[in-house]
Amino acid sequence: MDADKLVSMANQIADFFRVQGAGAEAAVADHIAKNWDPRMRAAIRAHAAAGGEGLESVAKAAIERLAG
Amino acid sequence: MSRIFVPKDVAALAVGADCVAAAIAGEAAARGLEIEIVRNGSRGAFFLEPLVEVETPFGRVGYREVTADDVTSLFDAGFVEGGAHPQCIGKTEEFPWLAKQTRLTFARCGIVDPLSLDDYAAHGGWKGLARALELGDVGTLEEVSLSGLRGRGGAGFPTGVKWKTVAMAKADRKYVICNADEGDSGTFADRMIMEGDPFSLIEGMAICGVAVGAEKGFVYSRSEYPHANAAFAEAIEIARAAGFLGQDVMGSGRRFELELRVGAGAYVCGEETALMESIEGKRGIVRAKPPLPAIAGLFGKPTVVNNLLSLATIPAILAEGAQAYADFGLGRSRGTMPIQIAGNVRFGGLYETAFGVTLGDIVNEIGGGTASGRPVRAAQCGGPLGAYFPVALFDTPYDYEAFHAAGGLVGHGGVVVFDDTVDMAEQAHFAFEFGAEESCGKCTPCRIGAVRGREVMEKVIAGHAGAADLELLADLCETMKAGSLCALGGFIPYPVVSAMTHFPDDFRRGASPRAAAE
Amino acid sequence: MTLVSEIDYGTPASRAEKPVTLTIDGRSVTVAEGTSIMRAAMEIGTEIPKLCATDTLDAFGACRLCLVEIEGRPGTPSSCTTPVAPGMVVHTQTERLKRLRRGVMELTISDHPLDCLTCAANGNCELQTQAGKVGLRDVRYGKGKDAPIETHLDLTKDESNPYFTFDSSKCIVCSRCVRACAEVQGTFALTISGRGFDSRVSPGMGESFLGSECVSCGACVQACPTATLSEKSLIEIGQPERSVVTTCAYCGVGCTFKAEMRGEEVVRMVPWKDGAANRGHSCVKGRFAWGWANHRERITRPMIRAKITDPWREVSWKEAIDHAASEFRRIQAKAGRRSIGGITSSRCTNEETFLVQKLIRAGFGNNNVDTCARVCHSPTGYGLKVAYGTSAGTQNFDSVEKTDVVIVIGANPTDGHPVFASRLKKRLRQGAKLIVIDPRRIDLVRSAHIEAAHHLALRPGTNVAVLTALAHVIVTEGLVDEAFVRERCDWEDFQHWAGFAADPRHAPEEVEKISGVPAAEIRGAARLYATGGAGAIYYGLGVTEHSQGTTAVMAIANLAMATGNIGREGVGVNPLRGQNNVQGSCDMGSFPHEFSGYRHVSDDATRSLFEELWGVTLDAEPGLRIPNMFDAALEGSFLGMYVQGEDILQSDPNTKHVAAALAAMECVVVQDLFLNETANYAHVFLPGATFLEKDGTFTNAERRIQRVRRVTTPKAGKADWEATQDLARALGLDWAYAHPSEIMDEIARSTPSFAGVSYERLERESLQWPVNAAHPDGSPIMHVDGFVRGKGKFMLTEYVATTEKVGPRFPLLLTTGRVLSQYNVGAQTRRTANVVWHAEDVLEIHPQDAEDRGVRDGDLVRVASRAGEMSLRATITDRVAPGVVYTTFHHPATQANVVTTENSDWATNCPEYKVTAVQVSPSNGPSDWQIDYDRQAREARRVDAAE
Repeated sequence: MDADKLVSMANQIADFFRVQGAGAEAAVADHIAKNWDPRMRAAIRAHAAAGGEGLESVAKAAIERLAG
Repeated sequence: MSRIFVPKDVAALAVGADCVAAAIAGEAAARGLEIEIVRNGSRGAFFLEPLVEVETPFGRVGYREVTADDVTSLFDAGFVEGGAHPQCIGKTEEFPWLAKQTRLTFARCGIVDPLSLDDYAAHGGWKGLARALELGDVGTLEEVSLSGLRGRGGAGFPTGVKWKTVAMAKADRKYVICNADEGDSGTFADRMIMEGDPFSLIEGMAICGVAVGAEKGFVYSRSEYPHANAAFAEAIEIARAAGFLGQDVMGSGRRFELELRVGAGAYVCGEETALMESIEGKRGIVRAKPPLPAIAGLFGKPTVVNNLLSLATIPAILAEGAQAYADFGLGRSRGTMPIQIAGNVRFGGLYETAFGVTLGDIVNEIGGGTASGRPVRAAQCGGPLGAYFPVALFDTPYDYEAFHAAGGLVGHGGVVVFDDTVDMAEQAHFAFEFGAEESCGKCTPCRIGAVRGREVMEKVIAGHAGAADLELLADLCETMKAGSLCALGGFIPYPVVSAMTHFPDDFRRGASPRAAAE
Repeated sequence: MTLVSEIDYGTPASRAEKPVTLTIDGRSVTVAEGTSIMRAAMEIGTEIPKLCATDTLDAFGACRLCLVEIEGRPGTPSSCTTPVAPGMVVHTQTERLKRLRRGVMELTISDHPLDCLTCAANGNCELQTQAGKVGLRDVRYGKGKDAPIETHLDLTKDESNPYFTFDSSKCIVCSRCVRACAEVQGTFALTISGRGFDSRVSPGMGESFLGSECVSCGACVQACPTATLSEKSLIEIGQPERSVVTTCAYCGVGCTFKAEMRGEEVVRMVPWKDGAANRGHSCVKGRFAWGWANHRERITRPMIRAKITDPWREVSWKEAIDHAASEFRRIQAKAGRRSIGGITSSRCTNEETFLVQKLIRAGFGNNNVDTCARVCHSPTGYGLKVAYGTSAGTQNFDSVEKTDVVIVIGANPTDGHPVFASRLKKRLRQGAKLIVIDPRRIDLVRSAHIEAAHHLALRPGTNVAVLTALAHVIVTEGLVDEAFVRERCDWEDFQHWAGFAADPRHAPEEVEKISGVPAAEIRGAARLYATGGAGAIYYGLGVTEHSQGTTAVMAIANLAMATGNIGREGVGVNPLRGQNNVQGSCDMGSFPHEFSGYRHVSDDATRSLFEELWGVTLDAEPGLRIPNMFDAALEGSFLGMYVQGEDILQSDPNTKHVAAALAAMECVVVQDLFLNETANYAHVFLPGATFLEKDGTFTNAERRIQRVRRVTTPKAGKADWEATQDLARALGLDWAYAHPSEIMDEIARSTPSFAGVSYERLERESLQWPVNAAHPDGSPIMHVDGFVRGKGKFMLTEYVATTEKVGPRFPLLLTTGRVLSQYNVGAQTRRTANVVWHAEDVLEIHPQDAEDRGVRDGDLVRVASRAGEMSLRATITDRVAPGVVYTTFHHPATQANVVTTENSDWATNCPEYKVTAVQVSPSNGPSDWQIDYDRQAREARRVDAAE
């Protein structure tokens, strides 16, 4: 999967939840877990593991929380 | 400085009043006389117009049928001081045709300077409105009811009942509409008030506003009345500037605004619902009733729609009290009626008198018989859709119920006189032709019936009609009378049926004179 | 079914509750106050003769046939215009009335041609019927040779409208058409010209129907009691013999129609008065534009091919199905269980949609199912579920009749949802106030007798900023309905939100800088909505199709909660759904993460319910969304798909990307009526059935489940659900549905919100879900006593500008939408006479922008974005603001989606169709892509006939 696209998707999700207050990371993680197909999740996790270029902080932290 | 009255009423203008006024001004200047020319309304005696009056210490002296050519001789005769002259009629108010009238609605018309607030007040103006403001809505409604005033537009509906209905309706806005779309041929009373005593209408409408709780009024006039419209528009501005209209009527804190609207020449817009459609900016077609305008009228709001004469009579009723008005008249027709006498008649004009005078008196005594000098054959009462009365019915008293019983109607007070040369079949044809021309086209009986009636009458006049056609004509009249949506279609049969009933020979012709001549 | 002929009560029902008892012809009858005598009589089966009266229009009183006598009252009033009164004694039939009615009818007929035997209305003509009823035996006018009469019998026909003729010579001037155009449709295109005998019905100021403002909704044709306004199909075929009541397959309004038939031939589609969504009204599409169903381009035989460059080969159903099944299994064997998927259709029935998702989940063994709601209202589902707990609108359409203030945002109902628009306009004419939030000056902003109190002409992409500014005004000016919020919403969430909304950065004065909307307008609109009485919000894709689509939906939900505008008639949050069954397709579990009834695939209880029901193991992981499928295809992990009734190539954004993805797949199965654009990339083509060819149900925007009934035999031999079942069986599933009702039974068994739904009930009535033990009769209005989720949830709606920004290269913002006469990708409407109104997509451009670029009206222009370019004609108009251009995507030749980008909503990936930065320049021909695409499409559509 195109990592750039997944990064921008994750960042968009983080943009929404960041302002909602506490628990943003968990909310982003939950959103991704519930809406992304496994191969997309695997790809973004791999990207995060490889340094997560382009991922803003809440998104990155959320992805790191994603279960395998 | 002498005041000289030269009427500005259209009936006077039509016979040269403007030239007369200019000639008087010119002659006075030439002779170094200081005069003031007042352009008053007409007193209604059109056969006297231009009726020039001069104010003298012993009263107003009149000079009849004055032309510009007469002016030099009038000055020579010292008319400015009321000097004797062949055209002098003496004191105007003692001239019998005028003296015999009972002028309530037209008390000021022809006497005052129409746009002078001082004149208006000096002749009892604003007393009615002041009293209404004092009485408040309930008291005012009561006065109007007690007066017995009925709608002068033709239907004769009790004005007090109509006002009470509007007063009781709950709404955020209410309206008063003056129906001044005076379309009946041979009628001119509305126009005379607008030109000759406009403040009386303004006062009447303001009183209505007080009584029913309306803050906005419309006067719906007609484009054929440019002089009246100009005069009335000016009167509105003057009254507003003086605080009789606007945000604070006579210092009462009540609001009443007035607007003049001018129709575009459709007779049917004199019908109240078509009139409201027209004010709303739509095509002037008739609305079905109910809802009554008093419940859901202009813009869907409770609305008083009164004829101009009804509203112009209101100030007198309030000023003098309901009983003073109700004391005049006969039976359920109380007060006075401004009768408009026209057609083939010697003394045409407006004659206000109490109900009860006979039609024969109106035609022969007041009107003086035909202008042609030939015998009277018929009089059509109540406009172009009123019934023709034969001489045999001239003993009918002028009264809503009596006229109705005789198959006719008082209508807006028009009486048109015909001599013995009139062809009543042609008159019946004219009624259908008028209906076909003026029908709004909404309802079937009027839209198609008027044309079919005209066609059948053409057959009758051509001498091709048989008994079956006359039966068809009678059936058509019944259909139109009972079936039409409004009074226009419903009244087309009145002239036709009355002509057929009273002048049957005119409808039974082998070959008509007209057809023979062709 | 025989010909359905609804009872015409003559005048509309009274809304009053007070009963009034009167006597009509000796019989006592009790009706509601305000009822006309005519209607009261009809209630007891006494049909008073009438011509100008019909119960869809206000009483008019023109024809004068319905006269009655009332004891104690003078004259013969018309019964249509006279309301009942207590104790009234009415006679409808007396000698006098008979005479009068015959007299009136005699006049009417004296100006009507006596050509009944050859007239299109023969046998179904109200004039003919009424003439018979009044006993007219003779027309005496014009008899004899010296008695010519004036008539209108020589007037010529106006045949300019493609669907109906106007024959003025047959017109009786009852004004029903004029009134229908005004009262029902609200267009005011018709008037009566002339007066008296010259009164004639006239479109506009003596124009032809086609040249006038007529929108061809058909209300006038339906209202006409003679053959004056007649459907051309009726004139050609003759009077129908039976009718089948069914549901329109165009937009999400869900109008009920009677398909009037002769044999297997549709004579006409007539809106059904009892239709709960349309109440007897229709638009040009549903009423007239059904000719596509019999279009010569319909594909009626299955086809396959090895490569998309090959010509198609017609095969048997069995061969096509077996081929598709074996290809899918081959791909899965090679690339894994999750390497294939499918798309359900919002154009198909609930039952068909349910089967497709079931096929994918149970047969393919994954959750790679999605639907076209992805590209339209997926943010609605997400946003409203978060805020209220239900992925659907809160009201029924009737609710608009009780509303006082309407916000229309990002929707163009007069074009997109015309029948709803007519109902809305009626309410606006009654005095309700309107706020329009849209970059374009849509027709609602100012049209006949309607003017918006506020038009917030915002810059595309700034919805969230403007909606939050509205909230700012409501919060800071003390306009919150605190009692409602305290009782119904999460108070802590609210306070958090109120603090957020009150921040000065959301003040209208700040937002003006972003949105271009004057602060005073925002303040005025907010005050009006919060204080003007029952406030309702209606919105469309102008809200959802943005990178913040879901946020905007939540912002709308916040406004309704904060002002207490939820949970009763006249208020609510109302998404206007684009397609006939987009609500249904979502309800049926078409999303990759949800089973039917919006239950997540990871929910063990739900999954085990279906596992038990279907006898398979189900995947607990969400599947791919449509755009993800394309990405996966290009990556090589997604190689096959089953696309039922959706043309993704034309409708999805960034066409080049979609085309490349499709071309990368090994087996694309397209099931459709026509060789659509997606089929150009398909390997298997399964011919589809139209809505006229199958049984089923559609669910409209108000959650109303309505029957779709089979009217004709499927041209290809199978309804779509049958083809899906065959494919399932070929994949080894043991399905054996004999009728769609059995599918609905399974839906009801497995989906709590549908628990009470069955065909047996739907035969009698339409039902609005949820229909279950708690709501046995369905739910016209939702969240009446409390929110479905418990307490209403306020979410913070921070404006985040889209990354799609104007700049020197692409200085204009393109936004897209649709027009009245065409529908979505135009697959149907382009194959009807509707093309006379919209033969091609055009670019709306502001005069200033046009002048800057040397573009004149009608010029061909090139529109380029970072994604691609297209050429189309320009039309210069100030409906769009400077800096904004607008077009539609109805014609594949335009390729409007070549220009749109892959930007999408953060929560749902709904594409950002409404904002694309573009440049416009004069052009002298089609773009390279348009030329290449056209060639490829012609190649791809070759068919080798079967031996």
